[in-house]
Amino acid sequence: MKKKQLLKEKTSNGVRKVGVVGIGHTKFGNLSDYELVDIMAYASLNAMEDAGIDGGIDQVIVGNMGAGMLNHQTGIESALVSTLNLEPAMAELVSNGPASGSSAFKMGYMAIVSGMVDVVLVTAGEQMRRVTGWEATDFVATLSHPEVEYPYGLTLPAFAAMFTRAYMAKYGLTERQLSLIAVKDHLNAEKNPFAHVQLPVTMEGIADSCHASVVNSYVSEPLRLYHMCPVSDGASSVVMCAMDGAARFKKKPVRIAGIGSATDTHCVHNRKDPLDLKAVRLAAEMAYKMAGIGPQDISFAELHDAFVILELCLAEEVGFFEKGKAIEAAEKGETEVSGRLPINPSGGLKAKGHPVGATGISQIHELVKQLRSEAEKGRQVKNPKYGLAINFGGFGNNVVATILAKE
Amino acid sequence: MYRVDKNVYAYKCPKCGQLHYPAPMRCKKCGYRRYPEQEIEPNFQREGYKPWEKTPLKGSCKLLTYTRLWNLPIGFDQRYLDFGLVEFENGIRASGRLLVDKPKIGMKLNVRVGKIKEFYGKVCYGLQFVKS
Ligand SMILES: [Zn+2]
Repeated sequence: MKKKQLLKEKTSNGVRKVGVVGIGHTKFGNLSDYELVDIMAYASLNAMEDAGIDGGIDQVIVGNMGAGMLNHQTGIESALVSTLNLEPAMAELVSNGPASGSSAFKMGYMAIVSGMVDVVLVTAGEQMRRVTGWEATDFVATLSHPEVEYPYGLTLPAFAAMFTRAYMAKYGLTERQLSLIAVKDHLNAEKNPFAHVQLPVTMEGIADSCHASVVNSYVSEPLRLYHMCPVSDGASSVVMCAMDGAARFKKKPVRIAGIGSATDTHCVHNRKDPLDLKAVRLAAEMAYKMAGIGPQDISFAELHDAFVILELCLAEEVGFFEKGKAIEAAEKGETEVSGRLPINPSGGLKAKGHPVGATGISQIHELVKQLRSEAEKGRQVKNPKYGLAINFGGFGNNVVATILAKE
Repeated sequence: MYRVDKNVYAYKCPKCGQLHYPAPMRCKKCGYRRYPEQEIEPNFQREGYKPWEKTPLKGSCKLLTYTRLWNLPIGFDQRYLDFGLVEFENGIRASGRLLVDKPKIGMKLNVRVGKIKEFYGKVCYGLQFVKS
């Protein structure tokens, strides 16, 4: 890269600008007949095709949480490079629980900003359906503290349920209101060809009819089946490059405007306020600061709603609504695709699915798709300028915020 | 993963008195180090080192939130399990098994240590919250 060109493409704070020029995605759902690396390769090739390249990748970064446990396979970053015939590209694995995808994206960004590389392929994938539901639940629960949480049988849904109970007691939220979020997410997912559950869901079916409690039984009280994400397989991939070299790709780049991440206590009980998702707030603040914008500038958001309560709480923590008020906005339709501030136009984790390690890149995929105005009919946000993604690791102990901007 | 001690402890920093649960390797308030109880390096306990005091978590506590979990992870064969998050009088908070009929946020509970898991013949002990 010519030095003069590089200088031109630096932002005001002197950092090299980076963009996304290609995106790829597999269908989310039950892909247990395929090999994990093949699923990731499929998404990668789609991203490269979208970018209009068949090589020239300097660095491959894989985001994944559990191949070692779920697939009994390690070294998937090297396996991916090899099946894509991308040798001798550098390759690393980045793992941050259910936020592995966004962390991998962040590392790709840092690699380009450092000047060490120009083109990075970030691919995130997970295959959770080869094991039984009990094993998948146990796998995710290994994120918790091995001495004072995990042995008790505590799972992520249990933590989310205890959080929800405390939130309901403080703000008066009801189970029925949680179901409203699920209905909205399913409506969006129905139009998203990559979504795991492309089924319309009605309030009658999951909340209001006398049979609703059979269809929508408790998983961890007060959270019901339709208040949480399905267990999914899938992969998503992006090609990132330095903006100074973006012209050679097929499509106009979508700019990475801000990235932030933060950690919080490993044990949920050690947080001063059990309802305070501090890492979400700090990660978002960092991303806003880097982008030079605030929550009022965001056109739409993909929020990590592994449990629908999180769609509400994350929206509050990132500054969209006051604490306890997100549900009012949802009830008014403000967070629908046609609303003032669409949230989870993809269907969210709730309905699009949640192959844990893949989710972060899937969220970025959706931001790019929306900012390019390439989303399917009925779920395209009108003239979006900035999209925000929150990827939530553990029960909020390692969170990544990403803001992408239309150039 | 398998706690066989029939006590569950809070750990007190010998320098500033801050209580922790679980034990950290470094005090969250003053940064004082905690060395493990078993040797992991030659001459691992430094000169002048004061060991951390272990106090069993006991007595009464307040229920902050709770759940009944119906989807259990592998290794548990009950129909469901109840969990609570509590705060002890000394400010320490903990998660554990809830063994009361009609839980209510804010209710007073007592804590005991009991069997929480049996796996491959090993019994694991942990906190159980019961009626006060
Ligand atoms: Zn101390």
